[in-house]
Amino acid sequence: MSKNLSYLSGRQGLEKNLFEELGTAAAVSGTPERDVMEQLHSDFLVGKANIQGTVSFYDFLKPENKNKKVYVCNGSACEMAGTQGKLKEQLLTTFQPDEIGEMCCLGRCHENSAFNIDKKNYSGGDIEHLAEIVQDTVTTREQYHVECKGTAVLTAPITNVAEYYLLFSDVLQQGADTTLAEIKKSNVRGRGGAGFPMGFKLESCKNTPGDVKYVVCNADEGDPGAYSDRYIMEQRPHALLLGMMITGYVIDARYGVLYIRAEYPESIESVQAAINEVKALGLLGENICDSGFSFDFKIIGAQGAYICGEETALLSSIEGQRPEVRVRPPYPTQEGLFNRPTVVNNVETLACVPFIIKFGGDAYATLGSGKSTGTKLLSLDSYFNRPGIYEVEMGTPLRTAIDELGQGFRQPIKAIHIGGPLGGLVPVSKIDALTIDFESFSQNGFLLGHASFVCIPEQYPIIDYIEHLFRFTAHESCGKCFPCRLGSTRGYELIEKAKGSDYKIERTLMNDLLETLEVGSLCALGGGLPLPVKNALQYFNDELSPYFTS
Amino acid sequence: MNTSTYTNGHHVAVQDVETKTAYINGVAYSVQENETILSFVRRHFGNDYVPTLCDAPNLDPYGACRVCSVEVALTANGSRRVQASCHTPVIPDSYIFTDTDRIERLRKNIVELVLTDHPLDCLTCEVNNNCELQTVAARVGIRKVRYPEGKNHLDRQKDLSHAYMTSDFSKCINCSRCVRACDEVQGQLVLSMAGRGFDAHIIKGLDQTFADSDCVSCGACAQACPTSAISDIFESKSVVADKKVRTVCTYCGVGCNLEVAVVNNNIKSIQAPYDAAVNQGHTCLKGRYAFSFYNHPDRLRTPLIKRNGEFQPATWDEAYDYIAEKFTQIKQEYGPDSISGISSARCTNEENYLMQKFFRAVIGTNNIDSCARVCHSPTALGMQRSFGTGAATNSIIDLKYTDCIMVIGANPTDAHPVTGAKLKQFAMKGKPSIVIDPRRTELARYATYHLQLKPGTNVALLNMMLYYIITEGLEDKAFIQNRTEGYDGFKEQILNLNIDELEHITGVDKHLVRSAAITYASAPNAMSFHGLGVTEHSQGTFTVMLIADLAMITGNIGRRGVGVNPLRGQNNVQGAADMGCQPHQGAGYLDAYNPEINKMYSEFYGVPIPIGKGLKIPEMYDAAFAGKLKAIWLMGEDVAQTDPNTQLVVSALNKLELVVVQEIFMTETCKLADVVLPAASFLEKSGTFTNGERRIQRVQKVVEPIEGTKPDGQIMVDIMNRMGFAQPEYHPDTVLQEVSRIVPFFAGVKWNELGNNGKQWPVAPNGNGTEILHTETFKRGLGKFHFAPYKETEETKQHADKYPYIITTNRELEHYNSGTMTRRTNNVKILTEDVLLINPEDAARHFIEEGDMVCVESPRGKVDIKARITTEVKPGIMSTTFHFPELMINNITSSQHDSEALCPEYKVVAANIRKSKGKFKTQPQTV
Repeated sequence: MSKNLSYLSGRQGLEKNLFEELGTAAAVSGTPERDVMEQLHSDFLVGKANIQGTVSFYDFLKPENKNKKVYVCNGSACEMAGTQGKLKEQLLTTFQPDEIGEMCCLGRCHENSAFNIDKKNYSGGDIEHLAEIVQDTVTTREQYHVECKGTAVLTAPITNVAEYYLLFSDVLQQGADTTLAEIKKSNVRGRGGAGFPMGFKLESCKNTPGDVKYVVCNADEGDPGAYSDRYIMEQRPHALLLGMMITGYVIDARYGVLYIRAEYPESIESVQAAINEVKALGLLGENICDSGFSFDFKIIGAQGAYICGEETALLSSIEGQRPEVRVRPPYPTQEGLFNRPTVVNNVETLACVPFIIKFGGDAYATLGSGKSTGTKLLSLDSYFNRPGIYEVEMGTPLRTAIDELGQGFRQPIKAIHIGGPLGGLVPVSKIDALTIDFESFSQNGFLLGHASFVCIPEQYPIIDYIEHLFRFTAHESCGKCFPCRLGSTRGYELIEKAKGSDYKIERTLMNDLLETLEVGSLCALGGGLPLPVKNALQYFNDELSPYFTS
Repeated sequence: MNTSTYTNGHHVAVQDVETKTAYINGVAYSVQENETILSFVRRHFGNDYVPTLCDAPNLDPYGACRVCSVEVALTANGSRRVQASCHTPVIPDSYIFTDTDRIERLRKNIVELVLTDHPLDCLTCEVNNNCELQTVAARVGIRKVRYPEGKNHLDRQKDLSHAYMTSDFSKCINCSRCVRACDEVQGQLVLSMAGRGFDAHIIKGLDQTFADSDCVSCGACAQACPTSAISDIFESKSVVADKKVRTVCTYCGVGCNLEVAVVNNNIKSIQAPYDAAVNQGHTCLKGRYAFSFYNHPDRLRTPLIKRNGEFQPATWDEAYDYIAEKFTQIKQEYGPDSISGISSARCTNEENYLMQKFFRAVIGTNNIDSCARVCHSPTALGMQRSFGTGAATNSIIDLKYTDCIMVIGANPTDAHPVTGAKLKQFAMKGKPSIVIDPRRTELARYATYHLQLKPGTNVALLNMMLYYIITEGLEDKAFIQNRTEGYDGFKEQILNLNIDELEHITGVDKHLVRSAAITYASAPNAMSFHGLGVTEHSQGTFTVMLIADLAMITGNIGRRGVGVNPLRGQNNVQGAADMGCQPHQGAGYLDAYNPEINKMYSEFYGVPIPIGKGLKIPEMYDAAFAGKLKAIWLMGEDVAQTDPNTQLVVSALNKLELVVVQEIFMTETCKLADVVLPAASFLEKSGTFTNGERRIQRVQKVVEPIEGTKPDGQIMVDIMNRMGFAQPEYHPDTVLQEVSRIVPFFAGVKWNELGNNGKQWPVAPNGNGTEILHTETFKRGLGKFHFAPYKETEETKQHADKYPYIITTNRELEHYNSGTMTRRTNNVKILTEDVLLINPEDAARHFIEEGDMVCVESPRGKVDIKARITTEVKPGIMSTTFHFPELMINNITSSQHDSEALCPEYKVVAANIRKSKGKFKTQPQTV
């Protein structure tokens, strides 16, 4: 978080982007070479240490990434499915051990056995065709079910792209104020996990003076188990792009930036193809349709860091800074990308906007329940009989999602981890108490988050799951705030030690650690980890008590 | 008005909003606008009330350690949220609880986590008892660490590679204060975190050592570090001192406040006080680390008299008698005007005052000048002609209020590092900034516009800017109408200029000049800064007047964030002129040749004061050759190394019957002297220095003078008495009192009232200082426009055919002027020699490679310099420094000087080059 670095990086705007340059440089061998880093230091007037600091942060830029040829998914769903050990064995027939790296969640949670070779993802039975994959003669056979129960806000098919974008001309006609009013009326809340009302954000940014503003799409769907944003980017990219254009128009943004995770190479391709289509329609560039509004898209490919899903870390990432969480204020709507007013929203949130504008904010607000308006995409993993992406209205009973949509579990499970690694660990006994909306989850001590479902099978030890969560947090902690940097590692060590020896964890120590993380952390990573751990301690106490002092 | 609040980040000056309050532990207190909870609580309960680890007074809120957390509720009994106080704004009417059970538990638990990865070797640690972690750990009451042993970073290696900076990252707590200091204060970006999570760690450059990194040794990181993870060889932050003395730096004209730690009359270290108005906790490697010259074995420790060509030690009495006798004899034989003095801008106001008084009242001549002659005399003269006062119109704090900076002929990141860092911070943020300089300086790299003109063409370039401001209709007509005179004629002459011709002369694209002119003129508030690249030219004074014209034509005078701001070279160059160390103006810039003023001076000093014209420095050399000058007294001036055309200077001094030098080291000039008097350094005496923003600050004696030496002021008093003038003992407060009675703008200056941060002159009789000059009217009434046409210097006019290259001179950060002091510190390990900056094109033409010796020849002589090939200079232009006596670059500089103020033209030397066989090569001097 350096204002100077934000300004310096911003000097070259998005045309020549420091972060992108580092990615390009790393593409050669897996990490940027020293002479390239020195050149970027002088081109961008930033310190050499800043370049090195950034490079060393990311999984796919750091020197350890050098010469990696294949990456095995280590996301929660693949871990729970237990497919990755066998997968790795199969890969070792073709690759050297040091050529195999890890990626955290390729979004193939519905069929697992996920891996990435040469910027392409594979899963399910693909590994059986490894030889052809290496020769690039086959493509993935991935398939998943998509279904909508009720009004289709996000899953509605877009048959005619040109017709779809006519809505944008209407928006240019009706003006920014009217458009904003509809968004506010819809009461759409951020789908990334925090549930912040989008209208407030837009209004704040709209009212902040600035020559250049940005709308940034947070497409760093890092929560293992979630693949709904991936679905939108690959199957409904125009909903997202139109949503960004409308949002951009409301706040008078000059650019729409899509920060898309490296683990979704196909998403980057499909969104780029969609941008080209919009461009072909003449709806991008200077003075669009003589409206005085100018807008362009830019895709920034991420490089592997879960923390970049946190909006301020994401902005620093685009700037080529270390993606460490920033303090607020200033809020991004005041000083965001390159210190300019910026709206950051999640893929799913932005993709709701065309529906809101087409049918009106009121129409959207009638969907859902209470303060949770609209619909929500659910990502169901392979423990369901029918895994896939489901769109439901907010307020739908959790039981409906599981039994009706997912068609029940294919084997006994004891808990569902809903809402990503920082979401709540819902024991099967609580399924009937919950409806799919922000309030129901939070009132019951859980978190809807991004509504991903990762099932924990009956026989899987909860202590191992907690260990997995601590390890995940320790690996992904940006390292800025003391509680998360130190606490996640120490928590992991406590569990590891208790598992591997007769060491017993003191209850007070664990409680102190969890409280320190929860109330002391700067962002939701350290702050969110205690929730599933506390859920586990509450609902699986019998299973866990042998690891603790009595 | 004199501001002494230091402002940065969350401590930005704020308005009290009377009506708003918030509760701290149940009691209501007034809240200021935009205040963080931390500064709110600290304002009411003191700095130590809320413990912190990552907060620092001069850094932006960061929110890493979370130790400063408090509970906040919106209603008295409402639910309480834990929030980090350092970056959370106070919500009016909210309820803040600073040390509830939950908060105390949180702090303790965080610090316990910190200690799981920190060596528990406090008793042997450098910062034991001066460690912020130790203090906070004790405060929150850690008794033991409950976590079993886990991963740690205790085996990290120390970095002892650097001349000053050290690191031991096993002690690092990852607060990032060092990274932020390097970024937010110095703007150097040498440090960063690397890795992530538990493995996050500090790196320098591309994970290099301090020595190999781009570190500029400012020490901001070491001062910011709460533990001993980054420190320096002096262990500055942990010295257990007998006393800490606040004084003012002796190097450049920024005038940094220093806090000097002393043990047993030995200086141990120097820190920069956070409450210093000038430097806010920052300083550079010269101020912070280059102090060890003060007790260097080379210090002169006894008076020396040259007999039969050899220096022989003498007692002070012998030396004084020798001088008094000689002076009396010469004065009798040739008259008082056969004696001259050169005072020093390195010495205090009091000493300068006494020196000129000695010459005027005791010797009876106006032959008194100072080294301001060779640096900023054109500034003083030019600004006097335009505005009536030869000093900075504004203050450095105005940088906070300006919208545009224009830096002309100055390289402040090297020569005025603390102001340079502030200017760089401005430019780094992409704010409108214009650099006019033949070299691509550090600042130029970050500036919006770099007008890289040919040396010696400042006048042409500024005329182009004035032209465009007029043709673009960007004049401030109201200001011109109400506050200035002479505009109509001026405008006509500007409009008659041939822009294409000027474009050719300067070598700068006219469109670029136009854009820069528009930027300067359109900014609501624009400040200009200039240095020796303006003054040390044949048209130096005219350039200053054109800078003044630019300020007046755009109305950038007389309020916050504007003005003409010379970056004064030496710590007290402002003061030396203020005190009357120039022939034509006595103390307080009063006309020494005016009979009425002469009468006043005579009455004040109690003896008849001469009214005849005195000699300026270059005229002294001429007079020596003409046989009119017979004796010279130099106070701390090394003219043989620093004045141009060395051989001429040396010959002139050799012509004299008596050369007296007061010095701290045996300089090149001392070697030519008949009597050398060992003086005390700034650390060994008291007085006042006046910095570049007219701030009179107290220099306080830190240690007793090295045995055998005396403060320059004492020497002056001694010789005055010895020659029959009753001058009381040297005490800075009594001399200052005398000064305040004769120098009008010192009227209200009293030693005891100067405090830590001094006062900016004019100081009214009631003691109030002045930050901004010319707010209502100019000192001279109306500001005066002066037109000056470009005139090529005789140097190139006469010699360009045989000497086609232009050599200009610059300064390096590590050394100060002739290096007498800095070469006797570890600075010499960082920068070991002078080099010649040469463009790759020129280098290739002469088959010169990096590190080759280059023979540089001018019409005066030749020197050999090591080549550094760089695009910092354009083809045809080269640049070098004169920090090392081995080089004696002034062997090639000319006797050309500013037509008005006689400031030498160091910045343009016609030269030729060839690859040298290196026979003049010498070993660099080290500590």
